[in-house]
Amino acid sequence: MDNREAQFVLSAYRPGGQDAASPQFTEALAQARRDPSLQRWFNESSAFDRAVTEKLCAVEAPAGLREGILVGGKVSHRSSWTKPLLKWSIAAALVLAAIAGSWVLRESARPRLVGWQTNALGQISALVEGRAKFDTQSDNPGELVAWLHANRAAALQKLPEKLERLKSLGCKTFFWDGQPVSVICFQRENGGLIHLVTMKAAAPFNRASKNKPKFVQQGNWATATWCDGATVYMLALEGQGDQIRSYLL
Amino acid sequence: MRAIDFQQLVDRQYAPLFRFALSLSKSEAEAADLTQQTFFLWAAKGNQLRDRSKAKSWLFTTLYREFLGRRRHEVRFPQVELAEAREDEMSILPNVDALDGRAVLHALQRVEEPFRAALTLFYLEQFSYQEIADVLEIPIGTVMSRLSRGKAQLRQRLLSKEEAAARKIISIAEEKKAERHG
Repeated sequence: MDNREAQFVLSAYRPGGQDAASPQFTEALAQARRDPSLQRWFNESSAFDRAVTEKLCAVEAPAGLREGILVGGKVSHRSSWTKPLLKWSIAAALVLAAIAGSWVLRESARPRLVGWQTNALGQISALVEGRAKFDTQSDNPGELVAWLHANRAAALQKLPEKLERLKSLGCKTFFWDGQPVSVICFQRENGGLIHLVTMKAAAPFNRASKNKPKFVQQGNWATATWCDGATVYMLALEGQGDQIRSYLL
Repeated sequence: MRAIDFQQLVDRQYAPLFRFALSLSKSEAEAADLTQQTFFLWAAKGNQLRDRSKAKSWLFTTLYREFLGRRRHEVRFPQVELAEAREDEMSILPNVDALDGRAVLHALQRVEEPFRAALTLFYLEQFSYQEIADVLEIPIGTVMSRLSRGKAQLRQRLLSKEEAAARKIISIAEEKKAERHG
């Protein structure tokens, strides 16, 4: 093994020393011990690797990502049909394969929430569970909309009539992909909550249809998403889709 | 999978996965989306994994597949595996301490795929060459090749950052000198 070959192998040697006993590196390490120039290169290279690791590990994940994952994980969790026992039962019932096949096709075609939506649900969960605070609070939703406008945050011009009649809890603003997003939380008549998310998109949003809400039920969350020009809205509650439809009439 | 297990897995792995995704995708939003999507796939399919000790490896492999899937229609990977990025064996090493984390990440993001994924797993997660081979589903020899050549590219990118920073300092110093004389 010459120095060039040893360098090639030692490039995979972890600077923490975890590979000291690995036979893959024995010959290359022996070569480094024999050749001072190679040893110097190896020492400097390991120090460089340690410094790069340290710097890269200092990069933090964005706020709200963890909460978004936890909420999305709950709603992505398939119901018990994926559990092994039930899967075996399904496998045994091969006569139903055609039916199951069409079900799978429907399932894969079912609309799902995308990144900004699960992130917003994460922010909402954090507010509801008291892990995050509202930017401002009021039981008058009109005041919250005015506050959002005054602070140049994402805000709609006029609340849907049925939402306007509800009492609000507060609102919070944040950013997704550099775009401003706001959430207003409302108290429903039955004591539950409903949330209106507004996001200003850089360009007209293609994933939601104008004035025609797209409904997605994912786990416990029912959502309706629509857009108006470069602003996209999502109404969300923990419940069923028919409950959310009543607020859009 | 119990909710508490899922939360523990998220707490342990979401930040490293995000960093891995960020080094691949170059956009924070796409990286966050890739990270979320990976965990959602775990929530939906993770119970099929019999050996729970391989959950971490499963997550990184799944994220990488997701990334490749999204890129399949956008990017034709450059054929540089063995032809380019010649290793200068006794090359000058940049002073990484002088740079912040974002600057190092930016330099890493400018390393070409497919070297970047192997480098990120090596640096961020201290994965062994065998683990990198498993995650990226490539032979061990290819891992070593990608690490060797990827490191050479990273050094070049970091050195150019250092040079740019030095030029900026000289330029500011010259401006101040000109102001004093002018």
